[in-house]
Amino acid sequence: MSAPVSETATAALQEPDQPPAQRGGKTPWWANQRIGLLVLVVLLATLFGVLRPAFFNQQLVVFPLLRDIAMFTVVGLAQLCVLSIGHMNLAVGRMAAFSMMITGISYDLWHFSLYAGLLVGLIAGAAIGALAGWVIARTGVNSFVVTLALDFLLLGLIPLVYTGLTDNAAFVTKPDGMREMRNYSLADICIGNVCGSPAVPQLALFAVIAMVVVGWIYSRTKLGRELLMTGTSVKAAELSGIPTARRVITAHAMSGCLAALAGFMLAVSTGSIKATIGEEFMLPSFLGPILGGTLLAGGFISVWGTLLGTALTSVIRKGLDLLGVGLESLNIYLGLILLVALSTDRIRTVLSERQEVRQR
Amino acid sequence: MRRFVKTTEMTLLVICVVFFVFLVIASGGDLVGANSLKVLLQFLAVPILIGLAQMVVLAVGQLNLAVGAVGGFAAVAMGVMMADHGVPVPLALLIGFVLASLAGLANGLLVVLTRINGFIVTLATMTVLLGVQYRLVGTRTVDAYPQGLKSFGSYAVFGVLPLIFLVALLVAGLLSVMLRRTVPGRQLLASGGNPIAARLSGISNDRSVVLAHTLSGAILGVAAILTVASSPGVNKSIGGDWLLPSFAAPIIGGALLTGGSAVVLGTVLAAFIVRFVDTARAEFSLEPSWVNFVVGTVVLGSVVLGQVRTRRQSRRTVVKAPDAAVAGRVS
Repeated sequence: MSAPVSETATAALQEPDQPPAQRGGKTPWWANQRIGLLVLVVLLATLFGVLRPAFFNQQLVVFPLLRDIAMFTVVGLAQLCVLSIGHMNLAVGRMAAFSMMITGISYDLWHFSLYAGLLVGLIAGAAIGALAGWVIARTGVNSFVVTLALDFLLLGLIPLVYTGLTDNAAFVTKPDGMREMRNYSLADICIGNVCGSPAVPQLALFAVIAMVVVGWIYSRTKLGRELLMTGTSVKAAELSGIPTARRVITAHAMSGCLAALAGFMLAVSTGSIKATIGEEFMLPSFLGPILGGTLLAGGFISVWGTLLGTALTSVIRKGLDLLGVGLESLNIYLGLILLVALSTDRIRTVLSERQEVRQR
Repeated sequence: MRRFVKTTEMTLLVICVVFFVFLVIASGGDLVGANSLKVLLQFLAVPILIGLAQMVVLAVGQLNLAVGAVGGFAAVAMGVMMADHGVPVPLALLIGFVLASLAGLANGLLVVLTRINGFIVTLATMTVLLGVQYRLVGTRTVDAYPQGLKSFGSYAVFGVLPLIFLVALLVAGLLSVMLRRTVPGRQLLASGGNPIAARLSGISNDRSVVLAHTLSGAILGVAAILTVASSPGVNKSIGGDWLLPSFAAPIIGGALLTGGSAVVLGTVLAAFIVRFVDTARAEFSLEPSWVNFVVGTVVLGSVVLGQVRTRRQSRRTVVKAPDAAVAGRVS
């Protein structure tokens, strides 16, 4: 990200909105993406709530909404891990499907318990992610191509396994507790007489754990800093003695592992383990982190931003749905909102840069 | 000639020929029958075009995730205009083509004006266009357009060469001439190959990016016309499965994701190979999933091989920005 490079047009495209102010911490508060997002989410939720009071219905709207937000946040985190080193994972959805396939096999053939199966799935996800990372690190081929090809490969492989092992393309064996977990909320956890809110699903705890772990890794550990440095500049990281090839593999393994967790959450909330798990993951996986300020070029991430970005899209989706906007128009609005949000972000960055120049 | 022997195109050509001979033997000679050949080529037209549509944007160092959405949207728009509003066929096709080109132009302008990463821009336009496509046609299948268009879609010269296949080849030829022989084409490749050098030589990179996206849209417009002409009807799923093949063909064909390469012939040959895989799948009556599996493996294999070759070359010459490939950056 040297200065002469970003002068040229195409290179500037390759290294998108890099807010130099954001890292310096001198940003005016209104240029902070996270605060803007939070305000927007609250405003929109209020607006929808005023227009349709049913929006605040705990059981029918808020509960599934939070479940969706939780799941897509994990999907976003899976993408965030590879974005942190400037890579992409186009196979997030298929990695989720692959690890859920392994989990399904473990339930069906080996009669594993719920959490043992989850563990097997997470390991499978990390393994397939590490494989992608290994190919990228070893050959130096663009991550976009490798994960695209892997996506193709898994897209072919998974239905073959399902048709080979099951009767109707879904694993029917459900371990104890899976059905209950789908509907359990914090109201089912009581400490003494104090119970949680019935609006918050227990599944959301997985997302909280994932956020805490990922946030901890990136903000507190050496590994996280090394990943971010690899994302900022591979050459500089290499020269500072960071084993960049190994970090690439680590990032992709983390991505695969989180994708597996998201797949598990989807399987629990839909109640079935089938080949189509994760098909709709790709778009949200980029939406959350990018709206939240994570850079596509690598080197800067935001876990909170991912949650807020995901919340924004989910709230919009749910709200428009309640307002009676048909399924067909939802996509149009979502796409437009994405464009507008990113454009205003660009405008905001330019404005705050100008202000800084004027102050000098 | 000796230079050609070592190129990716030559390798692909050899693979194509060997694969074809193998298929002919495996089918007991049925494949060279006029009808089988016609079917084989008939289903090649659209894959060639969508591969080229992606190739053009890759050449300038961008990518277009909206290939399927642009094509599907244009095809559905044409179908609806002809079937529901009685627009005459040539006019409807022209409008559809212009719409697709405009969608490409919009992609290019958005990328240049907002400076947002092309990946995200086309992701957003893809979402929007998918919504428009669904809104236009809903869950029905539009097939009540004039018979004349359908017979254009199924007509074959000498009973072997489908007209739509020839159209696709014509587009490929025009694109090749444009990229190699005309000033805008050379400028486009220069911008893709090295933006800084291009800028210093007085080339507007912005104009190249817009041109590439517009060209991509226009090629997709042709693909949409051929789809409408050759398929029994158009519905919301048209274009849904274009994205992966659109990347597979140029990448197998040897295009560089970093830009600057024009591999028209390679893309066409790669489309042939993918089609042969599909034919083989049908020949041995395997599940359709096998095609994706094999194509995925082939794409992965070809990029790895390409990388090995580049490395061998780079020992002799210094190649452009090797760490860009390591960082895996996509614009």
